[in-house]
Amino acid sequence: MTGKHRWNGLVAALAAAMAISLVAAVYGAAGTQLGKEPQSANSTLKIRAVIDTIDFLDPQQAYTGQAWWAMWNVYETLVTYKHVEGAAGYQVVPGLAASMPKISNHGKVYKFKLRKGLKYSNGQPVKASDFKWAIKLGFLATGQGVGFYTDIAGAKAYSEHPTASGNIPGIITSNGKRTITIKLVKPRGDFLTILALIFAAPVPGGTGPDIQNGSIPATGPYRFSSYDPNHGFVMVRNKYFKPTKYIPRGKPDEVDVSLVGDANAATQQVINGQADYSNGAIPPDRIADAKSKGRLILRQTANTYYFWMNTTVAPFNKLKVRQAVNYAIDRKRMQTLVWGGLGQATQNVLPPTYPSYRKLTLFSHNVTKAKSLISQAGASGAKVTVWTRNVSDAVSAAQYYTSVLNSIGLDASLNILPRTTYYTTIGNRATHAQTGWARWLEDYPHPLDWFDVLLNGNRITDTDNNNYAWYTNKTTNKEIEALKAAPVLTKAVNDKWAAVEKQIMQKAPWASWSNRVFPEFFNNSVPKKCIHIQRLYGIDLARLCK
Amino acid sequence: MAESAGDLTTDTAALLASEEHEVSIVGRSPWYLAWRRLPRNYGALLTLLVFLFIVICCSIAPVYARHIAHTGPNAIHADEQVRVSGKLTPVVSGGAVYNAKTNTFEVRRVHYLGPTWWHANGRFVLGADSLGRDVAVRLLYGGVNSLKIGIGSALICTLLAVLLALLAGSYGGWIDWIVSRFFDLIWAFPVFLLAIALGSALQINGFHHFGINIEPGSLWIPTLVISYVLIPYVGRPVRGQIMSLREKEFVEAAIGQGAHPLRIMFSELLPNVASTILVLFTLIIANNIITEAGLSFLGAGVRLPDPSWGNMIASGQDQIQSAPWLTLAPGIAIVLTVLALNVFGDGLRDALDPRSKVRLEH
Repeated sequence: MTGKHRWNGLVAALAAAMAISLVAAVYGAAGTQLGKEPQSANSTLKIRAVIDTIDFLDPQQAYTGQAWWAMWNVYETLVTYKHVEGAAGYQVVPGLAASMPKISNHGKVYKFKLRKGLKYSNGQPVKASDFKWAIKLGFLATGQGVGFYTDIAGAKAYSEHPTASGNIPGIITSNGKRTITIKLVKPRGDFLTILALIFAAPVPGGTGPDIQNGSIPATGPYRFSSYDPNHGFVMVRNKYFKPTKYIPRGKPDEVDVSLVGDANAATQQVINGQADYSNGAIPPDRIADAKSKGRLILRQTANTYYFWMNTTVAPFNKLKVRQAVNYAIDRKRMQTLVWGGLGQATQNVLPPTYPSYRKLTLFSHNVTKAKSLISQAGASGAKVTVWTRNVSDAVSAAQYYTSVLNSIGLDASLNILPRTTYYTTIGNRATHAQTGWARWLEDYPHPLDWFDVLLNGNRITDTDNNNYAWYTNKTTNKEIEALKAAPVLTKAVNDKWAAVEKQIMQKAPWASWSNRVFPEFFNNSVPKKCIHIQRLYGIDLARLCK
Repeated sequence: MAESAGDLTTDTAALLASEEHEVSIVGRSPWYLAWRRLPRNYGALLTLLVFLFIVICCSIAPVYARHIAHTGPNAIHADEQVRVSGKLTPVVSGGAVYNAKTNTFEVRRVHYLGPTWWHANGRFVLGADSLGRDVAVRLLYGGVNSLKIGIGSALICTLLAVLLALLAGSYGGWIDWIVSRFFDLIWAFPVFLLAIALGSALQINGFHHFGINIEPGSLWIPTLVISYVLIPYVGRPVRGQIMSLREKEFVEAAIGQGAHPLRIMFSELLPNVASTILVLFTLIIANNIITEAGLSFLGAGVRLPDPSWGNMIASGQDQIQSAPWLTLAPGIAIVLTVLALNVFGDGLRDALDPRSKVRLEH
């Protein structure tokens, strides 16, 4: 080969290489685009979440925030809450019902009409009678929410001998007309919010009372496709769901939820990118670290942490002792000690997210005054057992509380119970528990969920009592009963609730100390605009994206 | 021939050899021989000293707390500031701050006072915990509780186990059958699960039966629970040795002379298993300290706020990144104590009977 030929060959080779590169580049670019299109058309948005635990995935049985968080987008109720952030999230809107109900007979009769063409995720039509079955199922399965529905006419009698063929005469349904009429024995101002509870989500007639974890067909944007109690569950789209003005079609195609009990491990999974989201209680120690390694959102929920004092047992049967405790607690300090500052000090029963909330400042931190009150009450040296449950934040708070009681002249010791038996033990009159830790997270956004359940003396029971202070006051009880009938939370009604609250807290059956905020932790791949917090249910799964 | 102790060697064979040319051979008790052998095992001696040091440190806990640290084990100092090397330092500081105007939280790290290493006039030598309590004081008081439970339960467990083993081994027959099945019954449960179940149940309401009143929170609860669940681990090997001793000539001779069974049990059998019991006792103290730590870690042992090494580790685990001393201090204390007791127990076993294979098995 001559030199010229060699040059010609080299040029030809270079030209060929350039041509191949150009074609490859163009093809590659086109390929990328072409490849993108079908991927976009078929792409599945999969969200991987980590939560610590759930109890059940059964609308009539579940009673934990995590289970409700998942089920809110699976089991629709006649009325529900808006998928929006802020205070508007408390607004009750039509769910399975075509519109808000007609309320008549002084708030004792509610008439609903179901939306047309409603289907479960298995294709079966949703019938009006399924609502009645759901309420009956709650009683048949002795679900934890049955107490909410005993004001329906005939429900109390039914609850005594619940049978599948038995009837609750206060619920009248017509499958043909798709109508549901609910009659109450007395008006309840919070009844719409009670109907919005997942306990009242219609399920196919004949669904058995055994716990049906995730197997009950869905009516919401998602359905459960699998559930393993040791590992987690998967939610996929419900193809029969039709979005409404208030209930959007979900953005993720699939939500994989893993159950990881260790909050540290859950946080680490999000940091590592193994999960997109965790709602595990990040230890205070790791909050700052988590913030720097992911997207930390602090969610303000309606909760109140408090120490109850049994008003029927010495020394807390004396007002001065209860007041002394309230003076002695350094609420601000407790926020740091118990959860690294992620809480607001409070002296109220109601959380600040409620329209009825009026900030109370009845007791300023004053240990000297507290000691003096104990002395005046003749309670110096009185033996006190502080009860708490075996969960780290509750133990920390109770240890602090025990130390405070000792510092003001009482002789306090701590009794730590397993978390599973704690509330039933302190809620049993025979226990005569003197004082201890408790918290209340709202079931539904209405003052009745707080005052009626926790502080109405008329509702005290010998067992499973929620009024751990065994607080009863004729005037207060009467006012709570009167406010029950108020159908709408107007400003005047809210003011009345605030007055009831003040009246109660002046008697100091509780030493409320915190409204906690909960950390919600996301991987950085989840943009802020994709995160929507519904005030009642938390992170809105239906609106999550990446 | 009388002989001063200083002339003796510590080994039986050597002793015999050195005296071979003499007319008589002097018999030495196994205890005497062990006493001579033990000082040659420097590892065992060192660990004994370590254990004694820990015991002494823990026993002066009240003095240390009152006169040096100026606090109690459960006293909370979260609000206070301590002068460390002349500089005022808060015991607990930082944490998220709520801004009421914007209704937002500014996230900040929580700081707990770290070990001051005697730069704060003896206060917070090993730092502060999440509630602002003095870790060094809690460590010493925790040691008192852990040692009380460890040694107390070892004593009770060994006493009961030996009594049962003596009864079973001496009498045999249906008594042996009952005792053996009792051992089997406890043995059938995983030690920890049984201890947690009993500990948790008793911690709720205490024990109020047969005229015995134990209040919830009493140290007697973990002590008795641990004693009970470990009975077969001491009883079985002792029973086995007694069964074998029963066939020996000296026991048969005693039976032949019409000795009372109790005399045979306590004069013939017990002295011959005493070395085994002593070794097991040492080893089981270590085992019990670990069991107590595990129970307290899980909330079924020493009840908070009273400290024990186990519950101190449990309380500190949430702060393991920012305050590792909260778990390291009690962790090191447990390791040192258990290691010391185990090495000493092995040394004691070698000294008492080098051919023995006594060990605590699970």
